[in-house]
Amino acid sequence: MPGKRDLHIESSGQLCIYCGACVGICPWNCIYLDETRITFDEKVCTRCEICVKACPVGAIEIG
Amino acid sequence: MAKDLRTDVLVVGAGPAGSMTAKWAAKGGARVLMIEKRQEIGSPVRCGEGMSKDWLTEVGIRPGPWINLEVEGARIYSPSEQVLEINERSAGNEVGYVVERDGFDKALAIDAANAGVDVMLKTAATEVLRENGRIVGVRAKQFGEPFEIRATVTVGADGFESQVGRWAGLPTNIAMRDMDSCLQYRMTNVDCDVRYCDFYLGEVAPGGYVWVFPKAEGLANVGIGVQVSKIKGIAEPKKYLDAWIAQHPGYAKGKTIDVVGGGVSISPPIKQSVTDGLMLVGDAARMIDPLTGGGIANGCIAGKICGEVAAEAVHAGNPSHELLQKYDKGWRVRLEEKLYRNWLAKEKLCTLSDETFDKIVDALQGTKLEKLSVHNILKAVHAKYPEVTREFEAFL
Repeated sequence: MPGKRDLHIESSGQLCIYCGACVGICPWNCIYLDETRITFDEKVCTRCEICVKACPVGAIEIG
Repeated sequence: MAKDLRTDVLVVGAGPAGSMTAKWAAKGGARVLMIEKRQEIGSPVRCGEGMSKDWLTEVGIRPGPWINLEVEGARIYSPSEQVLEINERSAGNEVGYVVERDGFDKALAIDAANAGVDVMLKTAATEVLRENGRIVGVRAKQFGEPFEIRATVTVGADGFESQVGRWAGLPTNIAMRDMDSCLQYRMTNVDCDVRYCDFYLGEVAPGGYVWVFPKAEGLANVGIGVQVSKIKGIAEPKKYLDAWIAQHPGYAKGKTIDVVGGGVSISPPIKQSVTDGLMLVGDAARMIDPLTGGGIANGCIAGKICGEVAAEAVHAGNPSHELLQKYDKGWRVRLEEKLYRNWLAKEKLCTLSDETFDKIVDALQGTKLEKLSVHNILKAVHAKYPEVTREFEAFL
């Protein structure tokens, strides 16, 4: 999407611990947690990066 | 395709607040269905597992095998690690048990089931159903099969990342300064003291604290909460926790057997917890104590009120905003003043330097506080370091 940077949620289990911190803080409600799978709605995401800070283990990157 | 269901009260989420709500609604004579998206109630645990105990009788919970141990008190460590010891009574029973949260959640769900509540696992709500502006249940999926659950009253007990509250348009959004990002290791082979829950304040955990809650000799939950607005880089809660452990030889030698993360709201009380046909309870309603980060007691206390009002609405055949407002009023009478006061205290504490924390703990060490309240603390600090309390005069 033009003007929008890539959002990458590392959810293979190498970093993500599926705690839901990002889901709860996301002001746009565009992150979903389903047991051990995190997905996000790229169209709704504004790249505000609040989830990046809220993640206790650094599993979310915006490049 | 799974069969559509119809019930009096639908509770989304089978944590402590959900099970409490479900149990008290069933005891009030309503047909209750509680759904849980996970495959196992109480697991995986996302909790420090320390809790107070004076409220248990109020909501009808009897102590059970989920108690790991009973502590004598809390120890608060200033940044220079002067220790303030608080026995259980003067802490206002804020400390008490360290528990096995998965066992606790299951015990509450069993209580609810014994009261007549139906439970469905692996069942996630996917959206709320609306009719004439009123919420009349949810669309759900069980093992991937979509179906509808219609209910006279729907209760969102779906935790910190509550979707039900957002779908219903209730004001559950939280600011970055009103959330702590948390990480915890369960560590074995550590030098914990089973008599105390320990709290470490200051720059070791900006806007939060490091906790050590003992679960047995040599076994403890060692965790951290950091205020999200104070986080500047990637994975800071983990870096802070790892740094704290590295600086404490009694823990650095330990071995981690479990990692737990999560968000904790440290916000002022929510402005509205009900709408036509729907109530929110527990972490979903931002009921966590903003000072301690504890959510179980408040969730259970509000859950009892929520269940009672749900049953009443079912009997009246009227789940209107006005009737459900009785729940909103009820939990506010019981919890709101303390939530608000502790939020204000948290806002202040977040601004204190390590030097000020040291002075506060130093001033309190020599005094005997009858009861640990913000007012009593400030009085004691004022006597020794009047300059520290200058900006707290509103509390005095």
